[in-house]
Amino acid sequence: MWQYSEILMDHFMNPRNVGNLDNPDGHSEVGSPQCGDAMFLDIDIDDEGRIGDIAFKTFGCAGAIASASALTEMCRGLPVEEALQIKNSQIAKYLGGMPPEKFHCSVMGHQALRDAVKDFNTKCDEISAVLADIEISPVLVRPGRVYLKSGDDVKAVERVLKEKIERNVLVEVK
Amino acid sequence: MNTVYLDNAATTRMAPEVLEAMLPFLKDEFGNPSSFHSFGSSQMEAIEKARDQVARLLGAKCEEIFFTSGGTESDNQALRGAVKIDPDRRGIVTSSVEHPAVLETARALADEGSTLGIVEVNMNGELDLESLNKLVNQQTAIVSIMAANNETGVIMPLKEAADIAHKAGAVFHTDAVQMVGKSPIDVHALDLDILSLSAHKLHGPKGVGAIYIKKGIDLPPMLTGGHQEKGVRSGTYNVPGIVGLGKASELALAHLKDTVVEEGILRESFEKRVLESCPGSFIVSEGAARRLPGTVTIIFRSIESEAVLTLLDMQGVYASSGSACSTGNKNSSHVLYAMGVDINLANSALRFSLSRYTTEEDIDRTVELLSKIVERLRQISPYTE
Repeated sequence: MWQYSEILMDHFMNPRNVGNLDNPDGHSEVGSPQCGDAMFLDIDIDDEGRIGDIAFKTFGCAGAIASASALTEMCRGLPVEEALQIKNSQIAKYLGGMPPEKFHCSVMGHQALRDAVKDFNTKCDEISAVLADIEISPVLVRPGRVYLKSGDDVKAVERVLKEKIERNVLVEVK
Repeated sequence: MNTVYLDNAATTRMAPEVLEAMLPFLKDEFGNPSSFHSFGSSQMEAIEKARDQVARLLGAKCEEIFFTSGGTESDNQALRGAVKIDPDRRGIVTSSVEHPAVLETARALADEGSTLGIVEVNMNGELDLESLNKLVNQQTAIVSIMAANNETGVIMPLKEAADIAHKAGAVFHTDAVQMVGKSPIDVHALDLDILSLSAHKLHGPKGVGAIYIKKGIDLPPMLTGGHQEKGVRSGTYNVPGIVGLGKASELALAHLKDTVVEEGILRESFEKRVLESCPGSFIVSEGAARRLPGTVTIIFRSIESEAVLTLLDMQGVYASSGSACSTGNKNSSHVLYAMGVDINLANSALRFSLSRYTTEEDIDRTVELLSKIVERLRQISPYTE
């Protein structure tokens, strides 16, 4: 048995933010059962560019589950750029220390976050490209919602997005 | 907290009778059996009694039993010695599911010039006798096939394998560390030439074991030194350990029939109940023709084994997994790999190994805990809906 801190054991026994989000802004899948660790991460990013809802699922040991739980707690409410700066050592510290052999567990969370943000950016870019084609410059683009300037044709944008993007995108004027 | 020990394939509780038998030799009876004076030399009687006790358990003659430091040493001597018997025979044939004590020794000898043939196993972990037959030839010095596998509990066809070895003139060795004391083994009926065993796997002390060498086989020693054990194994006699091994062998023989039946019933009931109460679980080697009464590996799909072990450990239930998550590179079980078990499942395997001290209550408690743990971890797992 590893010498785990009480905080780590608490995150292992009662992991925070376990689950999936409906239509998340960003989704990632890293690791594999074959390497012994795997993690799925869903994130939503609010209008201010901060990480809103976040949920994970992990296949892995106590260290992996606790690290994932800790990361989600640490990220929530942070601007995306700041969340991406979270270091493995900070996760270990948050958990009251970790056996050095388990440091790799926290690496996975970092990869999952990076990939989820990448997925978010890809989805946003996809929408932005479609909007650029019809010469619309939106106020805000998120994978699930687009805010337009007053005077833009909401119905027309909805129609084009529905045709080009294979998921529901809410279109509103703000 | 009452603990439940289900890791008897790793090591076993020492029987109280064994400790009793050893105690005098850890206290006042400290003489060296090789000494001239009666204080030391009288201890030879205890050594010879232990030799007889071990011989009876194996159906061997006393002069065929030599004491060693354990299974690893016995395996090393078998392989390292056998390739030296005849300069024209340096080949080793062994199986893909052997314990590292055999596999790594065989690989080390291959680096020193021995040819190495590895026999495959089927999806149930059973030895492929045809493949063995093809690998053995006139250059084969030794065929080494374990009696029973430490992870799956699968019992190997020793008589058939020994016949193949003998037909080519090779020596046949078996690492019987997991088998001795758990399931009957008769060296003469099975026509075995060399056998390794370890005391601590049969409720004896750690650091002592034996090697059976059939009369007439001149196996060179690995350790040179004094004349102990007729020069087959030098080194001052580990008297308390040897006495402990003897007593453990006597007890194992007395309990053998009951062990096979009772441990078998407990294990089968354990398996059945785990399969019923833990979704996504299945038994490794379930289809094997013969398995040890008390050893089983179970795969719990979509959850990681170390997480299960940690949660069991917190409740005082001790089992094991074939792999350890330590450096990020998991070394999954070579046994499961050799059997062709889906590589995605290898990190979800747990081994439970019973002993004659395992009770129904132990099994009840473990099953109950497991079903809760598996449910909890499946909720966290990305691979369950």
